[in-house]
Amino acid sequence: MKTIRNFCFFAILVLIRFEVQAAAFQQEQQTEETGDIVLKPSPRSDNAVFKKNEQIVYDLRVENNTNQYTTGHISYVVTTDDGQKVAVDSIHLAINGSSTRNYIVKIAPKATGFYRINFIVNSAEYDDTVRRVFGVDPQEIRSQLHKPADFDAFWKQSREELEKITPRYRVLERRDLSTDKKRVYAVEMHSFDNIVVRGWLVIPRDGKKFPVHYRVPGYVVTLRPNMDNDDFIAFDLNVRGNGNSKDVINIGTDNYCLLNVEDKNKYVYRGVYMDCIRGLDFLCSHEDMGIDTSKIFVEGGSQGGALALVTAALDHRVKLLTMQVPLYADIHDNMAISASYDKQVFPFKVFRRYNTVHPGFTWDKFFSTFDYFDPQNFAPMVKCPVLMGIGLLDQFCPPRCSMALFNHISSDNKEYVCVPNSTHEVNMNYFMFQNLWLREKFRIP
Amino acid sequence: MKKLRLSLVVCLFFALALPHQSFAGFPIGKYRDIVVPAFNYYTQTDHYDVYGNYVKGAPGARFSSYSFSIFAGYGITRRLDFLVTVPYLNQVNNLGTGNKTINSQGAGDMVAGLSYNIANYNYVRYLSVQVSGVVPLYTVPSNTTSALGLGDYGAEIKVMFCGALPDFIADKGYFNTEVAYRRYFNFQGPDQVSWLGTVGYPIGWHNQLSMDITVFRSFSSNTAFNINYNAERDYAYVKPQLNIGHTFSRRFTMFVGGYYVPYGINTGLGYGGALTAILKL
Repeated sequence: MKTIRNFCFFAILVLIRFEVQAAAFQQEQQTEETGDIVLKPSPRSDNAVFKKNEQIVYDLRVENNTNQYTTGHISYVVTTDDGQKVAVDSIHLAINGSSTRNYIVKIAPKATGFYRINFIVNSAEYDDTVRRVFGVDPQEIRSQLHKPADFDAFWKQSREELEKITPRYRVLERRDLSTDKKRVYAVEMHSFDNIVVRGWLVIPRDGKKFPVHYRVPGYVVTLRPNMDNDDFIAFDLNVRGNGNSKDVINIGTDNYCLLNVEDKNKYVYRGVYMDCIRGLDFLCSHEDMGIDTSKIFVEGGSQGGALALVTAALDHRVKLLTMQVPLYADIHDNMAISASYDKQVFPFKVFRRYNTVHPGFTWDKFFSTFDYFDPQNFAPMVKCPVLMGIGLLDQFCPPRCSMALFNHISSDNKEYVCVPNSTHEVNMNYFMFQNLWLREKFRIP
Repeated sequence: MKKLRLSLVVCLFFALALPHQSFAGFPIGKYRDIVVPAFNYYTQTDHYDVYGNYVKGAPGARFSSYSFSIFAGYGITRRLDFLVTVPYLNQVNNLGTGNKTINSQGAGDMVAGLSYNIANYNYVRYLSVQVSGVVPLYTVPSNTTSALGLGDYGAEIKVMFCGALPDFIADKGYFNTEVAYRRYFNFQGPDQVSWLGTVGYPIGWHNQLSMDITVFRSFSSNTAFNINYNAERDYAYVKPQLNIGHTFSRRFTMFVGGYYVPYGINTGLGYGGALTAILKL
């Protein structure tokens, strides 16, 4: 029996060790770099978020993939997210061939905000830069709201105009797309300005009533039937100009966000935001299809993140909001941050180009429209539980802007997840957590 | 601009959700409840002696146990669960041809405690620890024994590791491993060490097959044999169990299982079955 006992303990220890190693390997794979000299900086805090008055510490693993003894130096430069240099230092590098060496980088505590930190390796044979971002107390970030005085009236009027449009819902079962587990329906409805928008409704067959996963699209992204959602009815709406809703607006990604940008009443996003509300109208008028209208959660990434937030803000039929890397958040600060980029990226790459070729279109004029559409101005109207995921290396949606938006959300029940090494996306770990979060909030078994 | 198109891994996480796994080891989830009523049947005629040798029982002798238990769990936080198990036993000890039959009924040892999720690995695998107290729900007059249990208070600590099977083993399915140490507060102990391993695999959309192996050892200075395993202190056994589960709905799963004791020390050689319902509230 002693032998059996010893075996059992050994077996479980081996199993645990194996699993821990497997998890570590998975992490390694996500950040795998190649080169003669590879730098692998790891922040000594969860998700690269530090506290005020806390020293910023990185463990820096250096791998020499050559066979030669190498000397040089590793420098690191810390700047604010809008490019102001706040710390510079370097360490001497001396490493044998085919070996690894660990260094510790310590930086004095920093004020609230996000910081870029570039690790630069210089040797006689090799130069490389690894870019990272860390945050300091992001939940303390504050930004100015540029909310027009008639903001609420503008959206009230927009909703009134939407309500005047008869939806004329059409629901068509698509047997060719349905499976033995799920029914797929193509749906369409008339929305703001009487434009037809379409979407996909997927209903699991094994049940009578389900909560709803209402997804709104990224920037000119085509949403298709979501067949991977077993515990929710999945409703994916292609807003005007996206996916199969291009009857009237069918323009490329370079111009979509510029459509009528000089007139807030005609700006494309006025109709887009109202399309999202119309989607909710559709859900709430089709309870007989098994839709649990008391459990609607809205989700989106990038532009979809902004749309999801606006939907939850304007309509409290939304009970949960999850968004990833919300586009256009805190558009004023986004402009300031993007000015420091070496190379312009969306969205200001597009807005600046428009500004350049339209001399009369001043930035004041731009903001006089866009302030009606900045998701940040909707954030105080969000009352439901919120989960947000951001990528710290994101340049489209700078982390500071996303967090500014987040901090303006008036719901007390809100959480965020930082993914340190992601650009304009989050990772699978975030979605695994989001799944648990949704089940917790909706008490789904 | 393609970069703007957020990765649609959002779709995938639903597909990766684990099948309706058994409750052990997995965090229940904040504010959620689980109730697991179970009926257990066990019977034996023969036994193993203190050296592990097979001993045939007396003619007509048979010990049978019918037990009903309720396990309930509540997720206090995302990491912390409260767990309690209350058994009710009905035991029939037939001492053999011409001898009397002893019947015993009553509540057994309640086990209640807290489980804490120490770490999760990408929300796919979980390492947890559980600390419980053992409370006898019956009284044992001094200088006697009870068929319902040892009659002593006790404490238990358990480490659990569970989650999805590694990809190189199977693309779906789950496992659970537990190592537990229990001590009864009596000068005779016993000290009990056990290991449980479970592997579950879905068969089709609503069914699953799972296999448990339990290795159990109870140490005590009191090595007296008792045909009723609830009432003896120094013994050991290995128990494999096979279960078939059917998920009736998202909230209701049932398992039916059978087991056998192929090896033991100072304990009965028997077999049994269990009918278990898992209700996620």
